[in-house]
Amino acid sequence: MTVGTHARRPRTHVTGAASAAVRPVLEAPRRPARVLAAFPAGVYLQVRTDLEPSVIAVITGEATRLPNSVLLAGDLPHVAVGDEAAVGDGVILLGRLSLHARRWWAPAPPLGRVDPARLREAAPRLGAGTPGLAGDEAVELLAAGCASGHLLGVLTAAERLMGLGPGLTPSGDDVLAGLLVTLRGLGAAAGAERAVRLAGWLAATVAFDARTRTTPISATLLHCAARGESCPEVVEVLRGLAGLRPLEPAVHRLRRLGHTSGSDLAQGIAIGVAAVLSLGAAG
Amino acid sequence: MTPTDMVLVRPGVYHDSVALMRVSRSMRELPGVEVAVVAMATELNLALARDLGFRLPAAGPGDLLVALRGGDLEGAAAELDRRLALLSGARGREAGEQSPLTTRSAARRPADLVLVSVPGEHAFAEALDAVLAGLDVMVFSDGVPVGQEVLLKRLAEQRGVLVMGPDCGTAVIAGVGLGFANVLRPGPVGVVAASGTGAQQVTSLLDLAGIGTSHVLGVGGRDLSAEVGGLSTLRALRMLDDDPATELIVLVSKPPDPAVAGAVREVVAGLSTPVVTAFAGERDLTAAAEEALRALGRPVPAWPCWPARPGPEHPDGPQGRPVGPPRAGREESRGRRGGRLLGVYSGGTLCAEARLIVGRGEFTDYGDDAYTRGRAHPMIDPTLRLEALSRAEPGDVVLLDVVLGHGADPDPAAALAPALAGCPATVVVALVGTEDDPQGLHRQAQALARAGAAVFASNAQAARYAKDLP
Amino acid sequence: MTLLSGPPRVITAGAGLLRESLAAQAVATTPVDWRPPLPGTGRALARVLADPRLPAANARAVARLTSARPVLAAVRRASEVLDLGRMTFLHAGPPITWERASGPLRGALIGAMLLEGYAHDEREAEDRLAAGEVRLEPCHHRGAVGPMAGVIGPSMWMFEVRDAEHGGVAYCSLNEGLGKVLRYGAYGPEVLERLAWMDRVLGPVLSAAVELAGPVDLRGMIAQALQMGDELHNRNRAATSLLLRELAPAVVDASPRDAAEVLRFVGGNDHFFLNAGMAACKVATDAARGVPGSSMVVAMARNGTDFGVQVSGLGDRWFTGPAGVPDGLYLGAYGPADANPDIGDSTITETSGLGGFAMAAAPAIVRFVGGEVADAVAATRAMYEITLSEHPAYQIPGLGFRGTPVGIDLTLVARTGLLPVVNTGIAGRVAGTGQVGAGLVEPPLEAFTAALLALAESANDPLY
Repeated sequence: MTVGTHARRPRTHVTGAASAAVRPVLEAPRRPARVLAAFPAGVYLQVRTDLEPSVIAVITGEATRLPNSVLLAGDLPHVAVGDEAAVGDGVILLGRLSLHARRWWAPAPPLGRVDPARLREAAPRLGAGTPGLAGDEAVELLAAGCASGHLLGVLTAAERLMGLGPGLTPSGDDVLAGLLVTLRGLGAAAGAERAVRLAGWLAATVAFDARTRTTPISATLLHCAARGESCPEVVEVLRGLAGLRPLEPAVHRLRRLGHTSGSDLAQGIAIGVAAVLSLGAAG
Repeated sequence: MTPTDMVLVRPGVYHDSVALMRVSRSMRELPGVEVAVVAMATELNLALARDLGFRLPAAGPGDLLVALRGGDLEGAAAELDRRLALLSGARGREAGEQSPLTTRSAARRPADLVLVSVPGEHAFAEALDAVLAGLDVMVFSDGVPVGQEVLLKRLAEQRGVLVMGPDCGTAVIAGVGLGFANVLRPGPVGVVAASGTGAQQVTSLLDLAGIGTSHVLGVGGRDLSAEVGGLSTLRALRMLDDDPATELIVLVSKPPDPAVAGAVREVVAGLSTPVVTAFAGERDLTAAAEEALRALGRPVPAWPCWPARPGPEHPDGPQGRPVGPPRAGREESRGRRGGRLLGVYSGGTLCAEARLIVGRGEFTDYGDDAYTRGRAHPMIDPTLRLEALSRAEPGDVVLLDVVLGHGADPDPAAALAPALAGCPATVVVALVGTEDDPQGLHRQAQALARAGAAVFASNAQAARYAKDLP
Repeated sequence: MTLLSGPPRVITAGAGLLRESLAAQAVATTPVDWRPPLPGTGRALARVLADPRLPAANARAVARLTSARPVLAAVRRASEVLDLGRMTFLHAGPPITWERASGPLRGALIGAMLLEGYAHDEREAEDRLAAGEVRLEPCHHRGAVGPMAGVIGPSMWMFEVRDAEHGGVAYCSLNEGLGKVLRYGAYGPEVLERLAWMDRVLGPVLSAAVELAGPVDLRGMIAQALQMGDELHNRNRAATSLLLRELAPAVVDASPRDAAEVLRFVGGNDHFFLNAGMAACKVATDAARGVPGSSMVVAMARNGTDFGVQVSGLGDRWFTGPAGVPDGLYLGAYGPADANPDIGDSTITETSGLGGFAMAAAPAIVRFVGGEVADAVAATRAMYEITLSEHPAYQIPGLGFRGTPVGIDLTLVARTGLLPVVNTGIAGRVAGTGQVGAGLVEPPLEAFTAALLALAESANDPLY
């Protein structure tokens, strides 16, 4: 297969680390891709594939390790939005680079067993922060629906939240992502089966609609969240809630992500924790 | 032009031996250079240079020895300076920045783990710095006195840190391969290993079966001796037990000292995570991997193997997938049978396992201290094993291991394949690695099989196959 | 963060190949630029490092050194405080005899003989010294320090510095100024005249002034001077000004008649503070002496022939090597051929984290260390590699107010092969010449190696 105009230039072989979530896309037969966005610390590639993540972030050490990312050991190549690339057969071809993964990390590490009593004690320490959709009706609906296990309310709220807000990852999506990851991770860890089932329904809704309702990058991150995959900052907060780690510093680090992304994710986590507690308690 | 000798001693200039070996090798490729020794002036290296006929001035192990023979030595010396400067530059010193000269100093910066690979007689200071700074440490170096090991591990116990090693060749922490390690997918199996290649065999097989690894914690070959008392093994077991990602623990070791075995059993009994043991002689590594799969409720696959298929006219198997297990004795006979069985190994545990399975023959572990003093490990430098291959005779069976992964030869088949093709013996290879390894399992397997070797991903299967060859 | 909670950040010491393989995995590494320890120290290092007392002993030693609070308490005659009998002189550095003494030390001893009235002329002084009629003893043995030749006779006026934290006391003579002075081995008429004036006027006036002003906080003064561009060994201009400012009113009160002359003398000598600073360093390092098992250096001193080192865990033993000839800048027509090997107790400043260790604080004198500010910064940065701590009060603005490197550790010297950076004045090699320059000097390796070997012999073996 030839890849645009770069194909005949000699490639520089570089290596790095990749989220294990990217593995199926990386190991599938090679597919064309194009540069969706390019920042100093990361380049987003949209891959022509039905697999998820269909958007892959090629990042440097400064960037957040998103669950769809591949961390480069060296510098990013100079590429522009629209440039062609390719992903598959174990390699990412981007600009003059041919990138191989030399290590995998787990984007959804298990949390072990969590005592609901401990979770109840930790929940208030998440704090409120200043999320982008503070006081928004759909968020309130989502929270209420989750806490009561009212599925229709949850799904209605989710449809309204998807793509809601400005930017590459709209606030509504971040809230949903935080919620999904929490329901999956802490739900399983606390043995709250209704929370895990709720995650399943919510994941199905999100997976069905994401590609049409929000930006491609945000859609991919929602797909990842639907599987319980997130960035280390979110994982650390979940670990903090599980009592494996001090909570406050982890929350502090999460809130520093993006413009409001960190606070939005934290808001979703808080809704998730409340749901795990109330649904778990309800048996 | 008649060749002349040039000998220089640079007092107090230090580079590590592997870096210098690379420089030496690249110097020999320069036009006009016939012999090039660029090495620290240890007794061994001085003797080596003397054997090559160089007349040497007094020099000590802290000095850099340069011995060149050839036509254009002035040019070569200038080039050498350039290459050595590159080595120094690669240490990453910025203007005004002081590179840390000790682990103690480096530990002022944020870090989670220290990897020590300085010569064994000096490893204690660096490892101690790590322990005192409250950092976990992997001591890759060998030749560390056992008393120092005991002391380090006792201090580590007090400070709540883990000492992996000394002589710990392999560790994997959350996917990060340290030393000789394979590229493994994340997963539920945690390994505690007194043997690096043993851990590599088990985790590679599990990876081939689709089961990932959480961590591999090496403990060093002496940890389960009476002297050391299994301090690191016990700690590593507890750490993996506390790790939410680890659902099953595999303990790879020689059979422990009886007193230590009791302590290990006691700790294992108290863990909430199930433990599969792979004590050499009791259960081979492949059987341990299979036992781990069963414990996880996963099917045991047929382990990949690649029959010998010499000759360029043979196409690869479909999509490079392994083609059915070869049966011993089917391929064309290469001369009289009944010759010797030679085990030419780089991994000590793999060597011992194969020796036990075959039950006869001459087995040599070229990774042993006796062969690695003053030269790189056979996983990096194939020279000694290539020499051993060249001594094989028609009718012999040669069984050897090729270990892939981080730290190993970037393309072992490149050097081995020509040697195999020219080898009159029947060659069986145990190829330890994963598809994601830098060298690529299938690529290596096919190159070796094309060169005439029967290749197995399981060392135990390779050994049984070699044993059954007529 | 526990080890297993995520990909570790790794410090690598040793084979570059292993670090490269981590870098290829996009793992953050901090490489140690490791080199083998000094020749012949491997076994001793292992023994000393294995001594279970070592970490706590060094922590205690350096904590005492850096917590000392030196104050200038008085100015008094040596005869009152140092218990010098007749025909006894103190000198800089480790013990030495007249036979082995270098030119400047001999010159200073001759001058002191004349000053104290132990001889009528140079000839008689030399004869009596050569005949062994005079007892020579290191300043360090009497809780004192002396710059350059460091010769102290009973009539001389001394700064008395007390440690308000640990209660120690240390002494240093008054600084005579630059050029032809006794401490550089000059003993001509102008030298003796100045000393006589110091005896008659400067000493008594300062003594009265300090008594009036009350104890002067030297720790605070040194800390301020570092932030004003002094490193407190080869540059003392800021500290001298600060001391002058502190004492001037009291000098006037004490002696309106002599005040102008005294203040003019002090103000005209940029190094006047050096001697008070040295006593401050001495009292701090003395507080750190005698911690069993400690490998921290508590004194470095030179007598013009030998460079000596004392170690906290090794009592009052000296470990010596030949004093080197400083590499530096020369006054007038003098050159390296005129230079005497290194001399003086002023290395007590480096022992306390000042002087060469604080070069980065003194950009004005960077020409001593290679000409560029970056060289001065590099010198200080290198010293963090061989020291146990960073001084809590003595800070360097240019390094983000990082504390100066303090507490030289023998084991770190042996492991890194880095020797202490020492700033120094350069004395002329011929007796009577005086100062010929200033610069840097490299201490002899063997002094540190010998001390380490001795420490290894006294180390506790943890396993038996």
